[in-house]
Parts: sequence; structure tokens; C-alpha cells
Amino acid sequence: MLHINRLKRTFNNNQAGFQNINFSVDKGEIIGILGTSGCGKSTLLRVLSGLDPNYEGKISSKDGNDNIGMMFQEPRLLPWLSVKDNISFGLEKEERKSNKYQTYLDLVGLSGFDQHYPKDLSGGMAQRTAIARALITEPEVLLLDEPFSALDAFTKMQLQDLLLSIWQKKQTTMLLVTHDIDEALYLCDRIFILKGQPGEVFAEVAVEKPKPRTRGDAYLSKQKAHILNLLNVEKKAAGDEQ
Amino acid sequence: MISETQKWKAGERATAAKLLSPKGLFKKGRGIVLGSILPVVLLIAWELAAKAGLLAPHLLPAPSVILEKIMSMYRDGSLFGHVSITLTRVFLGFAIGTGAAVVVGAVVGYAKTAEQLLDPLFQAVRSIPSLAWVPLFILWMGIGEPSKISLIAVGVFFPVYLNIVAGIQGVDRKLIEVGKIYQLSPFQLTKRIILPAALPSFITGMRSGLGLGWMFVVAAELMGASEGLGYLLVVGQNTYSPDTVIASILLFAVLGKVTDSVLKWIEYRSLKWQDSISNQA
Ligand SMILES: Nc1ncnc2c1ncn2[C@@H]1O[C@H](COP(=O)(O)OP(=O)(O)O)[C@@H](O)[C@H]1O
Ligand SMILES: [Mg+2]
Repeated sequence: MLHINRLKRTFNNNQAGFQNINFSVDKGEIIGILGTSGCGKSTLLRVLSGLDPNYEGKISSKDGNDNIGMMFQEPRLLPWLSVKDNISFGLEKEERKSNKYQTYLDLVGLSGFDQHYPKDLSGGMAQRTAIARALITEPEVLLLDEPFSALDAFTKMQLQDLLLSIWQKKQTTMLLVTHDIDEALYLCDRIFILKGQPGEVFAEVAVEKPKPRTRGDAYLSKQKAHILNLLNVEKKAAGDEQ
Repeated sequence: MISETQKWKAGERATAAKLLSPKGLFKKGRGIVLGSILPVVLLIAWELAAKAGLLAPHLLPAPSVILEKIMSMYRDGSLFGHVSITLTRVFLGFAIGTGAAVVVGAVVGYAKTAEQLLDPLFQAVRSIPSLAWVPLFILWMGIGEPSKISLIAVGVFFPVYLNIVAGIQGVDRKLIEVGKIYQLSPFQLTKRIILPAALPSFITGMRSGLGLGWMFVVAAELMGASEGLGYLLVVGQNTYSPDTVIASILLFAVLGKVTDSVLKWIEYRSLKWQDSISNQA
């Protein structure tokens, strides 16, 4: 599906960014990328999304499809477009006028809000709109950069469940950057732990439990302890921010 | 959902239906009434003082006299001529100034090289008080319409230009990245993200440009004209008739206000999406 080979992007004389990243993602997988702040997670997603073309190494997708969706920490809605037009933003001109948006509006639970402007949305609703916008182009891979970290705990859990239900319906391949271990354990099939300046993959943790999972069940707690342990082996400024 | 319900209600509250509801109209009416108390009281006091002989009529005639002056100009048909020629000058100057500012501002705001090339020049030219252009324009183009309209256009150009450049350069890089994710071409990026994002700033520029346009039409018509409200000012001064002078000042005020209201209405219509105090209904 997506193969990444010796991928590298560094700044300030190799003092920041990431390097030596190798992994493959299978169709329908949800991959988590966990790591301390500043270890290059956002940079990695920017490279994969095509926003940053100055990288070394190789990115290949099986069918050469470059249809990639991206969600940021902030919703990044266009304030002058209604919810409907924001959702349709990535479509071609003719499709933008169609009512294709309706399916995705319903999917993210915003039915009836199509004419609202972003200023009238709560943080959670705005992020739902952003999810719909990212999905409507039916991307091969959806990249998510800490998409829920700015939300309150309750809304965050709702949106994690929403993402999961979408995955169950559409089997979208996802790459989820997060610094929330519980979130990664709840959603991901495999978790890469990034560490260092520039960041490198330090460990890979598989979460072998079918989704949906129960938050905080014994297996996940055990894995959480394992990850915390991994992050703390080196006495450097490692550790989860949560 | 619970945590979001409140916000939903807030969203409903902010809709335009509210503005048109009887309550909204009442609120608006109340604002108008409150705002007119002071002017009306002053007008009455002025009229009474003039009637009582407290004000010298050759310096400050009564409001009724001024109104009568306007009515008589209306009856003999000269009012329409003066108003329409002044409006035409402002309109043409405004259109030319805004058009030029859009083109130049878009290029300067968008292309770094153009900015380095042009911006210092414009900043330097801008620091010339624009009225200083008057003699030069008259030398170049005579006292006919071209020099007047050019002068107004120069006045309008700078605020519009500065605001467009600031608007384009101030577009949130994060929103531009959204466009890049969807692989928009530079043209589409400009049309679908940069221009809408710069629109509020552009309209602000147009409104201050229009204000300057009115200022400059007065200057242009004072310099030499045979028609127009500014010409009326000169006539009033030369014939010692303060009623004519005040009447044309009044007409300038009304026209300035009306044209600005048009822009304000356009602003309201096209910027409903903005999260600002004035949109809090
Ligand atoms: N365009 C850039 N130029 C210079 N340094 C950058 C740039 N982008 C990111 N960095 C640096 O790279 C490091 C990693 O950033 P980032 O990928 O945002 O980290 P993370 O998302 O893991 O917190 C940071 O130290 C940041 O300062
Ligand atoms: Mg980041």
C-alpha cells in the first residue's frame, strides 16, 4: 500500500527533523506514530502529504495513487465557506455542486448544519467537518496530525469512536500521529515510537486485539505500561506529555 | 453531544432571521432614535437661536433658510446638475483608483520580486500629501475633467492598494496548505483561498478609499470647476452666502454617508462569515 524507505528530512544541520524511517503500511491498517514533541512527527506527515518536497529517500504507493488526505491539529476550515462548501472543498468543480457532501455530513453526525459557517461551530463540530472534508475525496491514505489533541476529553473520545466507525465502514488506511498513548492503543494496529533529534523509529508495538476495543482493558493497560517503559529507557527528555 | 448542544443554540441565535425578527427591528429602531436625539435638539436650538436674532444671519443662517436654499436649487434644476457631476467624478475616480490598486496590489502582494521592485516607490510616492499633486495635474491635463478624476483616483489608489497588499500577505499559511493538499494550481489557490481571505481587508481599503475620494473631489472642484458641489462652495464664499456654503457641506455629508452605506451593505453581505462583534446580532 505505502512503502517508505530510508526517508529523511532534517533541519539545522541534522539537529531536527527525522531520518532513517522505514516502514510499510497495508491497506486498511491504522498506524500510530507516537513520540515526544519535536521529534519530527509533523515533519514526517508534511513530507508524506507532499507539503514538503525537500526530503531524501523513497515513498512509494502500490498503485501510484497520490490521493492523500490530511487532517491537522486545527480544523483549518475556510471561514468564508459554509460547512457544506468546506466539506466539498477538495472535489472537482462539477462534484462540488452536487450533493455528494450529504453522505459525509451525515457520516460525521452534522446533518442539518450544512449552511452554518465555521464561526458558529464548536471545536468538536469543526473537527468533524474537517474529517468529512478529508474523507470526501476518498483518499488512499488518511494522514492525521494530532487531530484530537486540542479537544476536551469527552469530545475527544466521541471523535475517536467516530473515526473508528468510519474505518469500519470504509477501511480507510490511516497514519495517526499522536502523543496520547491511550488514543494510539485504542485505534491503532501498530504503533511506531519515534525518538531523538532528529527522530528515528525506536520501537514498534503491535496491538493484537480486534477493534472496537474497550478503553483501559487489561491488555491495553499492559501495552501502555510497556510503551511508557520504552519511552523511559533512556533518561533523556523522553516520556509522554499526557 | 451534550457539551456541544449549547454551541448549536448559539449558532442558531446568530442567524440572519434574528435580524429581521420584530425584536431585531425594534432594537435597530431604538438605536436610530437614540442616535438622533442630540442632532435634533441641536437643530431646534440652532433654529430658535437664529430666529431670536442671537446668530448673525450673514455668518450662520437658520436651518430653515439652508433647507429653503436646497429646495430652491432643486426647483430650478441646478441641484441635480451639481450633485450628478460631483457623483460622476467621485465614481469614475473611485473606479479607476480601485481598479489600478487591485491589479498592482495583487501583483505586489503575490510576487516577492514585484514587491521589492515596486513597493519602495509606492511608499515614497504615498508620503507626498496628495493635494500637492493638484498643480501638477492641472499643468499636465488642464482644469478639465481628466485632472480632477486623476486626482481622485490617486487619492483612492493608496488606501486600497495598501489594504490589498496587507490582505494578501496576511493570508494564513495554514489555509494555503489546505489548498496545497488538494493540489490546487496557483490560479485556483488565488481564486479559492487567497482572494476570499483578503476580501475583508480589500473592503476596508475601499471604504477608506471612498472617504479620501470625497475629500479629493472637494479639492479638485475648489481648484477650478464650473459645476459641482465644490464649485458651489466657491460661489457661496465669493457671494457671501453662507446658506449656499452650508447647503453644499450638508450635501457632501449626505452623499458621503449614502455611498459609504452602500459599501457597508456590501461588506455586511459578503462578510457574514466573519467572526466579529458586529456579527454577533
Ligand atoms: N521548516 C522548518 N525549518 C526549520 N526547522 C523546522 C522546520 N519544521 C520543523 N522544524 C523543526 O523540526 C523539529 C521537529 O518538528 P515537528 O515535526 O513539528 O515535531 P513534532 O510534530 O514531532 O512535535 C522541531 O524542532 C522544529 O523546530
Ligand atoms: Mg507536531
